Amino acid sequence: MRRLNKLTGSAACAAIVLTALPALAEGELNVLTWEGYADPSFIEPFEAATGCKVSATYVGSNDDFAPKLAAGGGVFDLVSPSIDSTAPLIAAGFVQPIDTSRIDEWDNIYEKFRASDGINASGEVYGVPYAWGAISFMYRPDKFDTPPTSLAALWDPALEGRISLWDDKSALYVAARANGDADIYNLTDEQLAAAQEKLIAQRPLVRKYWSSAGELVDLYKSGEVWISNTWAGYQSALLAEEGIEVVEFIPDENAEGWMDSFMIVSGTPNEDCAYQFLNMAISEAGQCGVANVNGYSVANPEAARRCMSEEQFAALHQDDPEYLDSLLLWENLGPRLGDYTNAWNAVKAQ
Amino acid sequence: MTLALSKRNRLRQFLVLSPPLLWTVLFMFAPYTILVVYSFWRAQFPLAVPDFQFGNYIEIFTDPQYARVLLRTAKIAGLVSLLALLLAFPYAYFLAFKVRKPGLRLTLYMAVVAPLWVSYLLRAYTWKTILGTEGLLNSFLMSTGILSEPSSVFLYNQTAMVVTLTYVFIPFMVMPIYAALEKIPPNLIEASGDLGEGAIATFARITVPLAMPGIVAGFTMTFCLSFGDFISPILVGGPDGLMIANVIAAQFGAALNWPLGSALALVMLVIVLGIITASDRFERLGQARLS
Repeated sequence: MRRLNKLTGSAACAAIVLTALPALAEGELNVLTWEGYADPSFIEPFEAATGCKVSATYVGSNDDFAPKLAAGGGVFDLVSPSIDSTAPLIAAGFVQPIDTSRIDEWDNIYEKFRASDGINASGEVYGVPYAWGAISFMYRPDKFDTPPTSLAALWDPALEGRISLWDDKSALYVAARANGDADIYNLTDEQLAAAQEKLIAQRPLVRKYWSSAGELVDLYKSGEVWISNTWAGYQSALLAEEGIEVVEFIPDENAEGWMDSFMIVSGTPNEDCAYQFLNMAISEAGQCGVANVNGYSVANPEAARRCMSEEQFAALHQDDPEYLDSLLLWENLGPRLGDYTNAWNAVKAQ
Repeated sequence: MTLALSKRNRLRQFLVLSPPLLWTVLFMFAPYTILVVYSFWRAQFPLAVPDFQFGNYIEIFTDPQYARVLLRTAKIAGLVSLLALLLAFPYAYFLAFKVRKPGLRLTLYMAVVAPLWVSYLLRAYTWKTILGTEGLLNSFLMSTGILSEPSSVFLYNQTAMVVTLTYVFIPFMVMPIYAALEKIPPNLIEASGDLGEGAIATFARITVPLAMPGIVAGFTMTFCLSFGDFISPILVGGPDGLMIANVIAAQFGAALNWPLGSALALVMLVIVLGIITASDRFERLGQARLS
């Protein structure tokens, strides 16, 4: 009898699966993206609903997008670079214009993002904004009597060997602001040299330049680092899971902001699936998905309002356009990219 | 008749040789040619434009950061090779001359070689957990009372890089030295003793010269492998750990300057080839002197 039950059970299962099958197998999507942006929690329902199979390849930094696409091969259908790294992809023709009329909730996305230079070129739109946040700073409250509020803490000799900075050209943005140069994306040669000097002066105090989220978490976990910059919401949540308390703060000198958009790789054979993915990404499923998995703020506040609790909505600054406006949103450096990278390499070569 | 035979022979020769030849052309010469071509191009937003100019090379030789990183890389590779030699030679000597049981000898030899089967990344990562502030070394030193509080001097600096690289590449030093020592006929050493030379003189005048090809080969391999390393600076290096391979990676990635990256890669290639040629000469010189 029990066996019979099992049999009928599996037969029923098979029947359900079989009836569900005809809707499936519409295409495959290869997504080059950040960890968490293709989390099973919202990708599996998407695959079940659309039949588009998603395979994600993860990048460690924005530097990975252009070289991977430049190497060619037609491997990827979607990429998700940050706003400062989109320009080379557009200029090189690696990504194709997006028909915003096919994106149902396009108009709900923050105007600031929709109109940003990073995804607009010669009258066409090239990206669908997805998530955003601050490059905030964080520290271990058990190691500070008075909470740090200024970037000066990162140059405090008393913290020698306890400081970490992201191994990225953004270190120059931090140093420039510490120098009082607020226009961090348009530094003159002198200001860039001053930022470089500032970082060279800081280097003996630095324990390690962190190069991945996991590494920064390890550095805090093993007690090596007490203060650093961070991707707001992400590493602090990972550390909280490990039982290590850290406090994020936006220093007096302000912080940079980042925004990631999904872009369609030129000539993809899976355009329909790509558009379905984009629609999912900025609907409740994708927006609350990334907010819950990565702790990032999202680009579509309307979808966020529908699927977030009030506390989460407020905590992610979705109700606070001023916060977003206060951040120094990353910009493409264009021809100056080489000079910035060079300056940062020179710091590490010193 | 003979013509047909030699023709067939040539065909056979060609068939036997063609896979490795094809491989070399496809995966060695073609990529290097592309690299050479790229190194004369000019970086221009978004990527690069074809050109024939020496700007990339001029930049490498005028901007002091590249010389600095190259010197640092050479220093670290040199220290790694030296440390590996100082550890590997006595070990190989002990294996070749002092261990009598073949089974034990094999076991001890494999103890050095076996780690090669474990992922390089994993082995380098292990050193992080050993050298860290809350790592094994600190726990040990504190439990034995040598330290009263954990020290952070072991990890995230050049010493940690040298230690890690030495550990990772020491098999490449042990293997050739052991092979060279093993080939030394025992009667040479006995003859030296019979002729009244002491142990030290025998070692200096017989063993070391005859082991020299192994030493040179081991030194060259360890040096070149360390010279091109870019994982240890990321894993255990500190803010002053940048090596030349990291700079090249940054040019291809962050800076999107493939021409400069190619030029740097070629400069590095020339240095490494130079070292291999020099060691080859050195070895042949030694050989000639011996015979």
